[in-house]
Amino acid sequence: MSRTFDAIDLSILWSRLISIVDEAGTTLQRTAFSSVTRESADFAVVLMDTQGQSLAQSSVSVPSFLGVLPFLVKALLRDHFPPEQWQPGDVVITNDPWLCAGHKPDIGIVSPIFYGQTPEGRPRLIGFIGCIAHSPDIGGTLWGANARDFYEEGLYIPPMKLLEAGHPNETLFRLIETNVRAPQQTLGDILAQVAANDQGIRSLHLLMHEYGLTEIDTLGAQIIAASERAMRDAIRQAPDGTYHAEYKADGDGLNHPVRLKCALTIRGDEIWVDYTGTSPVHPLAINAVLNYVFAYTAYPIKCVFSPEVPNNEGSFRPIHVWAPEGCLLNAQKPAPLGARNVTGNLLYAPIMLALSQAVPDRVQADCGAAVWVMVLSGRHDDGREFVEYLFLAGGYGGRKGLRGEPTLCYPTNVANVPVEVFENDAPVLVLEKKLIRGSGGAGQYPGGEGQRFAYRNIGQHPIHISNVTEKIRHQAYGLFGGKPGRRGRLYVLTPEGKRRFTPPKGHDTLLPGETLVMELPGGGAYGAPLAKHL
Amino acid sequence: MKLGIDIGGTFTDLVLLDEDSGRMVLGKTLTTYPDPLLGILNGVKQITRDSGVPLPSIGVVVHGTTLITNAVIERKGARTALLTTAGFEDVLEIGREMRYDIYDLFLTMPKPLIPRSLRIGIRQRMNKDGQVLTPLDLAEVEHAAERLIRRGVQSMAVSFLHAFANPEHEQAVGDLLRRKYPHLSVSLSSEVLPEIREYERTSATVMNAYTQPLIQDYLRRLKQALVERGFQGEIFIMNSAGRLTTLDGAQRFPIQLLESGPAGGTMASVFFQRQLVAAGNDIPQLLAFDMGGTTAKASMVRRGQPEITHHFEAARERRFKKGSGLPVRIPVIDMIEIGAGGGSIARLDALGLLTVGPDSAASQPGPACYGRGGQWPTVTDADLVLGFLNEHYFLGGTMPLRRDLAEKAIEKHIARPLGIRVEEAAWGIHRIVNENMANAARVHILEKGFDPRSFTMMAFGGAGPVHAFAVARLLGLSRLIIPGGAGVLSALGFLVSPVATEAIFSHVSRLDRMEWTTINTRLADMERSGRTFLQETGLSADQIQVSRMAEMRYAGQGHEITVPLPVGTLSAESLPAIMRNFGEEYALRYGRTLPHMPIESVTWRTVVSGPPPQISLYQQVKGAVSQQAQKDTRPAFFGKTWIEVPVLDRYTMPTEQRFSGPCIIEEFESTTVVGPDAAVWRDDFGNLIIEMF
Repeated sequence: MSRTFDAIDLSILWSRLISIVDEAGTTLQRTAFSSVTRESADFAVVLMDTQGQSLAQSSVSVPSFLGVLPFLVKALLRDHFPPEQWQPGDVVITNDPWLCAGHKPDIGIVSPIFYGQTPEGRPRLIGFIGCIAHSPDIGGTLWGANARDFYEEGLYIPPMKLLEAGHPNETLFRLIETNVRAPQQTLGDILAQVAANDQGIRSLHLLMHEYGLTEIDTLGAQIIAASERAMRDAIRQAPDGTYHAEYKADGDGLNHPVRLKCALTIRGDEIWVDYTGTSPVHPLAINAVLNYVFAYTAYPIKCVFSPEVPNNEGSFRPIHVWAPEGCLLNAQKPAPLGARNVTGNLLYAPIMLALSQAVPDRVQADCGAAVWVMVLSGRHDDGREFVEYLFLAGGYGGRKGLRGEPTLCYPTNVANVPVEVFENDAPVLVLEKKLIRGSGGAGQYPGGEGQRFAYRNIGQHPIHISNVTEKIRHQAYGLFGGKPGRRGRLYVLTPEGKRRFTPPKGHDTLLPGETLVMELPGGGAYGAPLAKHL
Repeated sequence: MKLGIDIGGTFTDLVLLDEDSGRMVLGKTLTTYPDPLLGILNGVKQITRDSGVPLPSIGVVVHGTTLITNAVIERKGARTALLTTAGFEDVLEIGREMRYDIYDLFLTMPKPLIPRSLRIGIRQRMNKDGQVLTPLDLAEVEHAAERLIRRGVQSMAVSFLHAFANPEHEQAVGDLLRRKYPHLSVSLSSEVLPEIREYERTSATVMNAYTQPLIQDYLRRLKQALVERGFQGEIFIMNSAGRLTTLDGAQRFPIQLLESGPAGGTMASVFFQRQLVAAGNDIPQLLAFDMGGTTAKASMVRRGQPEITHHFEAARERRFKKGSGLPVRIPVIDMIEIGAGGGSIARLDALGLLTVGPDSAASQPGPACYGRGGQWPTVTDADLVLGFLNEHYFLGGTMPLRRDLAEKAIEKHIARPLGIRVEEAAWGIHRIVNENMANAARVHILEKGFDPRSFTMMAFGGAGPVHAFAVARLLGLSRLIIPGGAGVLSALGFLVSPVATEAIFSHVSRLDRMEWTTINTRLADMERSGRTFLQETGLSADQIQVSRMAEMRYAGQGHEITVPLPVGTLSAESLPAIMRNFGEEYALRYGRTLPHMPIESVTWRTVVSGPPPQISLYQQVKGAVSQQAQKDTRPAFFGKTWIEVPVLDRYTMPTEQRFSGPCIIEEFESTTVVGPDAAVWRDDFGNLIIEMF
C-alpha cells in the first residue's frame, strides 16, 4: 500500500505529525507535577515508525532527549520485546540510564501504535510513540552530585510492561509507589506520560483516517530522507578537516577538575566527534553515558548547521560520536550518574571551539553557566515538608553581530522560579536578584552578564541544600580575541556576617539566619574589544 | 444613535447604527499618520454627511485604537522610570531566563521598556504575607523622584515585591508622587495587576506607565474635538477582552486596550450568533475566523461568551513565537494568530517542500498580481489563478488584478521547480495555507478539550470568506456563516459589546486550608468597586451581572485552570461545589482527574458587567427575488479539473433560495468560495449560511 508523497502532501503531513507530538507534549507539560518537566520542558514526545526510527519530536523539548527514544525503542525491539510481543494497550516503562537519558529520574514510557489489520486479520503494528520526562522523585539520596554509586541513586526499573493489553501491572505500580518520596506525584506524572502517548495515538488515527493512510513507514522514510539531505547539504558546505579542542571544567570545583577533549572531523557530508583524551570517570555523580553524550554533541551541531529543519532520525544520521569506555563520557555500571547534566551541558563548549575553526560566523562564544541547579529541602515552621528546585542562568555568549543576552543558559533552557513564588514555597527571604555589572566578557560583541542571587533561611529549622554549580574555577571563553566572562562565586554568609565555605558541587546545611550567596558567571565575548574598551 | 470607530493600520472604519431601526451606515477613510485623530474627524464628517445624522444626535461613540500596541512595538512611549524594591532593579531585564527558540543561537530577547539608569531601588520590604520587614522611608522616595523628574521622566511605574499581598507601600509612594507632581503619570503594580510573580507584574505595570501619557493626551484631544463639533454623548473605549470601559478607565489602565481591534471582530461574531439564535437557529459554539492580508486569527465563543485568556505578550521579537514578547497578563480574548493571510508568500524551503508564510508581501509591494513589483507568489496570487478571485472585481473593481503576473510568479518559483502545472502549484499553495490555519485552529480547540466538529464557523476579514470553506472542511465542520458588513466588522463589534470590568487578587493557598473570611472580603470589595464603576456609566443595579472565578491547580503543579465559583458567601461548605467545578474543567482539558490530590488557588477574579446592548439589525423584506443573482460563470479549479461555476452577486441574492456548491459569491470587500457538496443561502439579515454535507 505504499505511495510516494509530493512536495505538497509531504509538507502538509509532516506539519501534522509535528503538531500531534506537540499537542501531546503540551498536555504532559501542563499536568506535570515535576517542576523540572514543566518549567524547563525537560521532556520529549517522539513518534517513531515500526523500526523505532523517529519521524517527529515535540518541538519545545530540551536537547537531552535528542535521539534517545528511538535508541530506546530499537533496544526494546532487539533485546526485550520483539515486534510480535506487542499488543494494543501495552505500555512499556524503564529508567535504565543506558537505554534512556542517562540518569534514573528520567522515565521513558513507550506505547505501540496499531491501526487496521494485517492480511492475517491481526491488529497491524504501524509504529511507536514514546515520551521521556523527569520524575518528581525516584527514591535514593536527594538528587545532586553526591551519590557514591549507581545504587544510591534510587529505584531502577528495567524495561517492563507497565500496562499489558490495557491492564495495569499492579505489582510494578506498588513497587514504585513504595520506593519514592512523593508517590502520588511520581505516579501522577507516569500516568500523565501514558495519557500523552494515548492522545498522540488518537490524533494519529484521526490523521490516518482523514488521508486514507494504512501505515506510516513510507511517509516516515520520505521525511527522514528529506531531513538527512538538509543536514548533509549543510555539512558539505563546511571545510573538511579535523578540528581539535580542549576545554577545562570545574569537576568538583575544588581539587578534582575535568578535561574535555574532542577531535571533530568534517569529511564530506558527515561529522565524527571523538572524545578520546577526556578525563576518566569522576568520583562525583557527574558521569555521563554515551547516548546522552550523543544528544548533547548532536545538539550544538544541529544549531550550527541545520537549526530550522524539524528533528528526526535523518538529522542525526550524518553525526557520529565516540568516547572510550570508562571515560567521563562513557561511564559504565556502577558509576554514579545523578548530575550527569553538568557534564552534558558542557559538551557544546569544546564543540563550538572546534567548529569556530571551520565555520567562524556561525558559532557562539562560551556561555557563563550551564544552568546552576540548587535543591532545597526541609521543614516549614509548622512542620510541613518542602522540596524546591532553583535554576539560575549566567550570561549568554556573544555571537557575530550580537552581544550575549544577560541570564540565559545554553544548551539547557530552564525558566527561573519567581522570587515571590520561591518565598511562598520555602521559608526563605531573597535579599537580592540583580545583574552583575561588567561580568560579561569585553569584546566587539560582549558576553552577557551573570546575576547575583542571595537568600536567607528565615525559618526555625536548618535547610538541606544540594549545590550544582559550574565555572567557579574556570571562565567562559571568548572567541576571536573576545575576553572571557567573570567566574562565578558561591558562599554562605553567617548571621554574624562572616563568609564560610559551601561545596560548589555537593550537599550542605543552611542554618537559620544563614544566607547563601550565588554569583553566576558572565558569558564570553565574540571578537576583540574595540580600542576604546582596552 | 451609536457610532463605532476602529483605527486600523490602513483604514479607519466607522459604523453608525440606529438601535431602534437596526439600520447601519458604514464609512471608511484612510488612517492618518502621525495623528490618527485627523482620520477620525474626516470619517466622522463623512459619515454624518452621508447619513444625514448630525453629531449632536449621536448618543454614544465607541472607539478602539492600536495606539498602545504601536507605541510598545515601536518603543515610542513616554520617558518612564521604575521604582522597585532595592536589590531587584533588574527583574525587568532578567525576565524568566528562558530562550524562546532552542535551536536559534542568534536569538535576541525583548529590550526592557525602561533602561537601567531609570530603574531605582527603594529600601523597603514585605514578606509573602504582606507583613512589613523593612519600613518605607518616604524621604528616600522623594529624593529618587526628584532626580528622575530632573532627568525628564514623565511617567513612573512602582512595583514592590509582594505588593499584591499588601499594597500599603506602593500606595504611600503613589500618594506622594501624585501629590507632589500632579502632571506625572503614576502606575502602581498593586492597581495595574495585583498578581503573584514579580516579573510579569512589573512588566505589565511598566508598560502601563510607558503608554499612559500618550493615551491620556490622545483621549483628551479626541473628546475635545468631538465636543467642539457638537457631540454631547458618552465615549466608551473597547478593551482586549471584548468589554467596554470609560475614558477614565482607559486612561488609568491603557494596557487593557492592547488588543481592542481583534476583539471587535470576535464580539461582532458573538452578536451575529445571538441574533441567529434568537431567529431560531441552533448555534451552541462558534469559531470566529478572521483572515486578512498578513495573519489569520481564530477564537472560540461558547455560551454566548468569548473565551478569555490571561496569557498575552506584546511586541514579540518574532511575531508568531511564544515567549519572545513582553508578558502582559491582562484579560484578552483567547485568539490564536498565525502568519497566514492573502499576502503570505509561498516558496520552496531548504528541503524542497512547499511552504506558505509566515512572511508576507503585506500591501507594499503586495502580491505579484497587484502589479506593484511583488515578485514572490502569494496566497492571493494562487486564489486568482484558481479562479476564486475576479481580476476585474477586486475591492468592487477599484483595484484591477494582473492574472499574468500571478501566473508568472507561481510558474517561476513553484510550478517549474516542482515540475507541475501552474494551477496545480496554485492549488498546492491554497491547500497548504488552509492546512496551516486548520491545524492551528484544531490545536487551539483540542487544547481546551472540545471537539472541533461541534463548532459553527463565522468567517470574515478580506481573505476569510475565500478560504473559510476549505478550512471548515478540514476541521470537519458542517456549517459556515459569512456575516454581512464584513468590511467594518470590528467597528460593529464595538457597538454590541457590554460595559464591563475585571478585578483580581492573588492568594496562594490550598482549598482545605483557605481563610474564607479573607477571600469573601476581597471578593466583596472587588464586586463593590465594579458595581460603582458600572453605575457611574448609567447602568442600574439590576442590570449588572457578576461572575467570579479562581485560577486553580493541583498543589504542586505549575499551570492553573480557570474555575467558576458558586454564588454567595464562600465557606468550607462551598468546597464540594468548587472541587466539582475544578474537576469538570480539568477533565475537559486533560481527560482525567486526580481525585486524592489537594487543590490550591492562585488568583481570584471578579468580572462585573452590564447587559449586551439590545440591537437587532435591519431585516430584509422576505422573499425579495432578483433576477440578476447569478451574474456570470467562470472556470475555477478545485483540485482535479477546472469546473465552470456560477458567480453570484451577494447584494442581489434572494433570501431563502438555496444555491448548491460549487459557486462563488462576490461582494465589494470579499469573495465567498463555496466548494462542492454544499448549499448556500442568504438569510433575512444578509448573512450567507453555508451548509456542508
